[in-house]
Amino acid sequence: MSGVLIIAEQRRGELRPATLELVSAAQGARRAPGDTVAVALIAESPERLVPAVSVPGVDEIVTVQVAAREFDADTLETAVRALIEARKPSLVLVPHSIDAFGYAAALAARNRYGFATDVFRFEYADGALVATRGGYGQKVNIEVDFPGKDVVLLAVRGNVYKPPEGTAAPSVTSFTAPDVSSRVRSLEFIEPAAADDVDMTAAEFILAIGRGIGEEGNVQQFRELADAVGATLGCSRPIADAGWLPKSRQIGQSGKTATACKLYVAMGISGAIQHLAGMKHVSTIVAVNADANASIFGIARYGIVADIFELGDALKEQFQS
Amino acid sequence: MADSAAVTRVLFEDFTPSTVRLFYVIGYSAIAAFLYGVYVQVRKYRRGVPAGMPLNLLPRLESMLVSLLNHRMIRRRDHAAGEAHRLIFYGFVLLFLGTATITLDYDILGPLFGVHFWHGEFYLWFSLVLDIAGLMLAGGLLYMMYRRGWLKPPKLDYARPDRAPSDPDYDRSGYRREDWAFLWTLLTIAATGYVLEALRLVWLASRPEVWDTRWWSPVGAALAQAFRALGMSEAGAGEWRRNLWWFHGLLALLFIALIPYTKVKHIFTAAGSLMFRDPQAAQRLPREKPDAPRPGSQYITDFTWKQLLSLDACTKCGRCHEACPARAVGAPLSPRDVILSLREFANRTLASPALPAQAELDVHGKGPGQVAMETLWSCRTCMACVEVCPVAIEHVPIIVQLRRKLVEDGDMDPQLRKTLQTIHKTGNSFGESKRKRAAWTKTLGFPVKDARKEPVDVLWFVGDYASFDPRNQKVTAGFATLLRDAGVDFGILYDGESNAGNDVRRVGEEGLYEVLAEANIGALSGASFNSIVTTDPHSYNTIRNEYPDFGGSYRIEHYTTLLLELMQQGSLAVRHKLNLRVTFHDPCHLGRFNKGYEAPRDILKILGCELIEMGRCRSNSFCCGAGGGRIWIPDPVGADKPAQNRMREAAAIEGLQVFVVSCPKDLTMFEDALKTSGLEGRFVVRELIELVREAA
Amino acid sequence: MKILVAVKQVAALDEDFEIRADGKDVEAEFLLRDLNEWDDFSLEEAMRIKEAATSPVEVVVVCVGPESADESIRKCLAKGADRAVRVWDDAIEGSDPIAIAQLIAAVAKRERPDLLFAGVQSSDHSFASTGIAAAALLDWPHAAVLTQLTYTPGARTARFRRELEGGLLHEMEIDCPAVLTIQLGINTPRYASLRAIKQAAAKPIEVLTLADLSVPPGAVGEGGSLSRVRRMYVPERGRAQMIEGSVEEQALQLAAIIREATGGAA
Repeated sequence: MSGVLIIAEQRRGELRPATLELVSAAQGARRAPGDTVAVALIAESPERLVPAVSVPGVDEIVTVQVAAREFDADTLETAVRALIEARKPSLVLVPHSIDAFGYAAALAARNRYGFATDVFRFEYADGALVATRGGYGQKVNIEVDFPGKDVVLLAVRGNVYKPPEGTAAPSVTSFTAPDVSSRVRSLEFIEPAAADDVDMTAAEFILAIGRGIGEEGNVQQFRELADAVGATLGCSRPIADAGWLPKSRQIGQSGKTATACKLYVAMGISGAIQHLAGMKHVSTIVAVNADANASIFGIARYGIVADIFELGDALKEQFQS
Repeated sequence: MADSAAVTRVLFEDFTPSTVRLFYVIGYSAIAAFLYGVYVQVRKYRRGVPAGMPLNLLPRLESMLVSLLNHRMIRRRDHAAGEAHRLIFYGFVLLFLGTATITLDYDILGPLFGVHFWHGEFYLWFSLVLDIAGLMLAGGLLYMMYRRGWLKPPKLDYARPDRAPSDPDYDRSGYRREDWAFLWTLLTIAATGYVLEALRLVWLASRPEVWDTRWWSPVGAALAQAFRALGMSEAGAGEWRRNLWWFHGLLALLFIALIPYTKVKHIFTAAGSLMFRDPQAAQRLPREKPDAPRPGSQYITDFTWKQLLSLDACTKCGRCHEACPARAVGAPLSPRDVILSLREFANRTLASPALPAQAELDVHGKGPGQVAMETLWSCRTCMACVEVCPVAIEHVPIIVQLRRKLVEDGDMDPQLRKTLQTIHKTGNSFGESKRKRAAWTKTLGFPVKDARKEPVDVLWFVGDYASFDPRNQKVTAGFATLLRDAGVDFGILYDGESNAGNDVRRVGEEGLYEVLAEANIGALSGASFNSIVTTDPHSYNTIRNEYPDFGGSYRIEHYTTLLLELMQQGSLAVRHKLNLRVTFHDPCHLGRFNKGYEAPRDILKILGCELIEMGRCRSNSFCCGAGGGRIWIPDPVGADKPAQNRMREAAAIEGLQVFVVSCPKDLTMFEDALKTSGLEGRFVVRELIELVREAA
Repeated sequence: MKILVAVKQVAALDEDFEIRADGKDVEAEFLLRDLNEWDDFSLEEAMRIKEAATSPVEVVVVCVGPESADESIRKCLAKGADRAVRVWDDAIEGSDPIAIAQLIAAVAKRERPDLLFAGVQSSDHSFASTGIAAAALLDWPHAAVLTQLTYTPGARTARFRRELEGGLLHEMEIDCPAVLTIQLGINTPRYASLRAIKQAAAKPIEVLTLADLSVPPGAVGEGGSLSRVRRMYVPERGRAQMIEGSVEEQALQLAAIIREATGGAA
């Protein structure tokens, strides 16, 4: 049992960037110095994804050709299980992603692998793998280990590790996985309706509002504030779910990622992990919240404990004089 | 003077026996129609559920008669109309008693015992009194016509805010026509009565016992003089009299027969409603019956007979409509129209011999006669409507019982739903941990006794807003300091205290209210104290008036009473007077609900403040809009709010410096409204406690 | 036709909580318990199917937890679930989601529902695993993060959409019986009035032990789990630089930050 096996995630013929984050994560988790880091490409045309994973840190690429074009839990579970049987890695990494939600736990349960999800730190200590994840709504950290488990499957939190830079030329091998008669069929993808033309992923300065704004009637005040300071108005999930702003303005795991953002001002947002997934990476984050204990202050660069309405008004005044 | 027995009016003079019989037949038919109408109404009321209150008929009757006779409620806020109605009322009563007297003499005592008393001196005084009564009646009616036709107060067009013009029951012209018909019919009966009186005098002018005593009927006599001057002959008068007699009689009998079918029935229904009033309506809401199949009111048959009777008492006077803060800011609620809708619904469904299928009895919805969710959720349960209603209609309990059904079905604003779930989970509406309830005590610099652990003299029930809202926490800390300075032995329940439940109950979540009440009563019974004081009028109301129903009876006062006492005793000194021009906003739950108007004013006087009252003060105080759970429901975007309306009223006071409140919700609502109505800087909003502290 | 809904009573941290002496969890007195937010949605989805169906559909709730979990189960019964099953045994203490999934699967084998619902994750530890792990143990088709479901009771397949990153939706079809994990926002959960909750006390909660389900104690608890808790600790609080002062002063400083970051473009 040795080596790290990364299960790449692909969608609509493209590699999902989270896969590359796993490559970086894997570097610090070789149990023994000679252990290899391999990336498995399980897809209908896996060879097309090879260039995308030819990055430093990858020792080997394994292509697995399967019948399913898009995500299929049965296909992945069968293929990964076969890979593990054949290659016997000690650590298998998948992203903590929506796709992984659909199969990783089943894979682990059926085969009794060591298993933990939403892991943001892991390493070998005295030959044993120790992983750290959050607990009680991310208010505490929990350290877990996997005694007696030869294979451990970890789902790794996104936006924690940075993808490696540059290119490399790892060896490419192919692997044949058993046939699968799948019990789920992919039909089509539906783009989220864009109610307005805003592209949150291109915005450099975002002012985002959360549950703290209280009522729908208060959205207008912050819309005006965003205009006054020159920001694009964004929001957390509850605001979009309630219909107070279009879904296209939602930042977070199931919303947009503030990719181009340099300054993110979060008002009345507590810092739920799903929201953070969309903006944590922004270089300057200012959190404004009436609750001094809001977890968003943990990842923000600047924090202001104040009534968001009063602060909003005062801030608008600064830009109107 | 002629023989006393001859000084009288001969009834049916010169009528053939068959004519008289015809009259009696018509008369009895009218009475039969009347009785049938009464039967239909009573059958309708009996289709409601029992009212579950002690009947106490004699005291209630006495109290009702006093209300009717002094007419105090009708004069309120509509002085002229009240006086006019008083004239109509007394005029009509006297005329009715007059007719009854004649009947007693002619139809009962005469035939049965051969006794006649309606003659001589008695008859003459009788005639005079009734002539005056007729004038009173006519005068009142004429004023009402003038008011309705010329002055045209807006409320009398009955425009309703809870329907759109396209709705079938939007049009109220039927009501206006009925009102005019009522006025004209009564006036015509009175007028023709006088004319008949005059005609008889002319017709019998040759009889000295009639003509010589004519001025005992001054109006008739004056008219008679005029008729004679116009050349009317005795025979001619007799002819006119015979025809007009039938017209007048038939009209009067028609009027009587139609009483139970028209607005005229308010004569009885208003009296009935007054008789069975609940003096604690709205302050103390009714409990759910344990075996009730559904919570609250869904079907018209879920109403009590008393409520159904009250629906019929409404005369559309519009006082509740004018007083309602929700209506004043354009919300789709008029208490009057809730009552009228339900009345129309009851008449449509419960007035036929057979009861329709239950599905047709559902009063919730937007169909004709139904009450919509939006209407019910607009209510602030401020009880302005209940308080001003001259016929004791109890709108608020009706609305709350309708809300109970909405709550059961989850038909409410998502924010309200969430708040109720939060209160259930954490015992407060802020979602804060119970442990943080007394966090404000840490800012004090002196310890506050834990009433759960040691006995205290005064247990201070703090309340949610006072405990958790940052602005109110300053006031709370201020009050603690005042108590300490005055040497009061007080303590609080710390995290043993939960939301008192007043507003939860008024939202209609009766189950959650019971949980809260039981929790608080449990905590209170574990503590040892002599009395309770509270800075929160909502808590004050429910602990004082409603907790006894759940086994918790305590001596409780609002802080204003306690502070006044301490100031009068000298325990709290006023070191320097505040020469401020102030106005005082009576909080609904302290003022109108519990008649606590004086203590705050006395305190302001001691503080040396110049108090200028707003127009709507004391029992007519205008609600801040937070009650009935509305503080947990977002206002429609862009709509006016009651608190803003109130701020504008205050701003009209020249040189006003401080708008004084004594309720945590008022403080929050009005400070906000001061900003949003653009009046910031004109005056400030302060809690009375803050002023006392300033003067200390 | 039957839908089995797996629910969890989760714990949130109270103010000023303390870690237990053994360092592996928080002291129980600081834990505030409530029904998992996701379970409101999965129960509501089951109720929607039940209410729209033309033939009877039984909605059964299963919960692994001690007696304190009854409060959350009662809420589900108040919302219209027909029956509830609670599984507990002291040996279950310390189980990870996979060990819990054993029990869910065992109850599912007993109940033989047409669908098994679970929430995508629980709001306390967010493992996002229990439902899908149970599917593997049942060897049932499974899908996660459903934001929309179309199912006719008794049908051989169901159509659904899962919500992907960025809000993209993936429409799929699955063979039934199946395990589906339900995402927030799929519907609007109904309100359970206190009255309904009180009346739900009359509906039965069947309590099962490991023996009732023929699950050996070794299959649950720490021994049956796929990970082991070494320690729980409060992480170093974040490094936000707090801007103090009056609201006006704070706004002034924030405006400066904005101007600097946007190059004065505002």
